[in-house]
Amino acid sequence: MPDGETSGVESTAGDSAAGALAYLTEMSPDLRGGAILGADGTVLAASGRPERWREDAKVLFDVADSAGEDPVEQVHIATEQGEVFALRHAGLAAVAVTERFALSSLLFFDMRAVLRDLAEGGDGRGLDAA
Amino acid sequence: MPPKPHRVLLDRVSGYADEAAAYMRRRRVSRRPFARLYYAGGRSSDQATDSLAGGELFAAAGRLIEVAGKRPKP
Repeated sequence: MPDGETSGVESTAGDSAAGALAYLTEMSPDLRGGAILGADGTVLAASGRPERWREDAKVLFDVADSAGEDPVEQVHIATEQGEVFALRHAGLAAVAVTERFALSSLLFFDMRAVLRDLAEGGDGRGLDAA
Repeated sequence: MPPKPHRVLLDRVSGYADEAAAYMRRRRVSRRPFARLYYAGGRSSDQATDSLAGGELFAAAGRLIEVAGKRPKP
């Protein structure tokens, strides 16, 4: 996808997160939608309806944190309707919804790489941007 | 001295192999829903579907799946 072409992605805080989410969508053919959130839970980019993504991602992380003594780093939930992946990294968070049987390690790897690059001031594309 | 293979490439290839094995195992053993939490240091825990936390996790996941909608057509 060319730079700046982020069809279906709404950004509320900067083009970098929107570009990163579009890049993640491009790399993950099973991805239905997702969001990238800041440390305070604000939606930096989402594939539509950012307010819903903010609320539902907060609920997910709150429930996941309350399930154990430590804050979670990753969440993977597989249902009959699809799979949900959530990841905290470098002060940011990403949530992705995919088709069933998505390749979890690859998706988490890509999500982590995108968040790491965003946190370092990049556009989320990391090495591919070179 | 030959250059070291790029770590990112190695991680990615390892990820493919791990995922292929995990994918086949998961399909073979079970198609049941699951909720898995991962913590710093590599620890993970499965939440039973009939537990309180498991039920809340599946409910939260259902809302996210709803907001994501269907996969966009290419």
